[in-house]
Amino acid sequence: MSEIEEIRKLVAERLTKGDAKGTTIDGVVALCKSSDGIAPYVFQKGDDLSGLEISPKYPVMTLVSKLHKMFPTIRLGVVARGCDERAYIEMAKRNQIDPDRLYILGFACTAEDAQTCHCLAPYPKQLVVGTPPAPGPINPLVEKYDAMSLGERRAFWKQQFNKCIKCYGCRNICPECFCEACAMEDMAWVEPGLLAPPFPTFHMIRAMHMASRCIACRECENTCPAHIPLTVLYDLMRRDITTLLGYTPGADIAAKPPLSVNLDEAPLRVGAGH
Amino acid sequence: MGVDFEPKIVAFMCNWCTYAGADSAGVARLPSPANILPIRVMCSGRVSPEMVMRAFRAGADGVLVMGCHIGDCHYSAGNHRTIKRVPLVRNLLGYVGVNPERLELQWVSASEAPRFVEVTKAFTAKIRQLGPLAEEVAV
Repeated sequence: MSEIEEIRKLVAERLTKGDAKGTTIDGVVALCKSSDGIAPYVFQKGDDLSGLEISPKYPVMTLVSKLHKMFPTIRLGVVARGCDERAYIEMAKRNQIDPDRLYILGFACTAEDAQTCHCLAPYPKQLVVGTPPAPGPINPLVEKYDAMSLGERRAFWKQQFNKCIKCYGCRNICPECFCEACAMEDMAWVEPGLLAPPFPTFHMIRAMHMASRCIACRECENTCPAHIPLTVLYDLMRRDITTLLGYTPGADIAAKPPLSVNLDEAPLRVGAGH
Repeated sequence: MGVDFEPKIVAFMCNWCTYAGADSAGVARLPSPANILPIRVMCSGRVSPEMVMRAFRAGADGVLVMGCHIGDCHYSAGNHRTIKRVPLVRNLLGYVGVNPERLELQWVSASEAPRFVEVTKAFTAKIRQLGPLAEEVAV
């Protein structure tokens, strides 16, 4: 049985029998193929599952979060990749998803996905279907970054951020961008009417907000119409969060968001020099 | 950037410690650099990365964030956020090519008037050495 067939079978099973504990599931969030293309969909009991798809990559947890908020008692299943599970972990601890009302049916990405995403964990911990591929390589841009001078870095980002058309696609697709009021739309921080948006503040705001949250799903970079290598910046911030605070976004649902708690709960690892 | 360059420095000072410290420096007639533009905030933890970036964008050559020493915060742990946040903003400045030395975090209590003078003098001297931010950022 192929991976996709196995997933379809398991989804049908969960819809009739409920989750691992036997609790009824109202629907399973997954991708569905229709005449219009492939889009996220909530499969319910009795639905034809032949249209269920796992590709292309799509951040399904955003839909799960919306459904959990719209329907406060709904119990869902979700067909999820490694990055979806990491997104879930960061969202759950920030009250965007109720872990008690979610069953995760995890599947492993292909080796090719892992390569293109520079993914360090291309499979969920709650792996049900598939064989874990080897992690992808670190982005070469991140690897050589420390050797770049301040001037080189500035020239690089100035050129990249000048391409920005301020479409907010990076924010909109991001599973971790769920604030109701966005600092990137606040006139106090971002002057309206400027294209490209102010360098470097516009993109720095997002990079700061992503620190301790970015789970490296690469959706922002995939969606960016200007092909700005945003995750280079976010990967560097991820590295800093790990070095400074010993925190890896998306790794542990019990670990508190380090920037939102005091030093007793999440101490600084290395002295900040003050 | 000659020695004639006088840097503009925005200093975010917490209401309970540093602002009072700056005040007592003034009362004691201890001269501190006129380059400092003080902005009083209720807590150093209130200083968001956006505020720091806006200061730079508005023409500051350096930004100083000052608050109560760890353990002395009026809100008990507001400065815990600051001590985690500022190093991250500094690193990020470096990543986009702005010298991270232009942002600094210093603790100055209400009774440390001489320390306030010392810290602001040292930071002003450092930024004077670094030169105008506009020159650095103009590629």
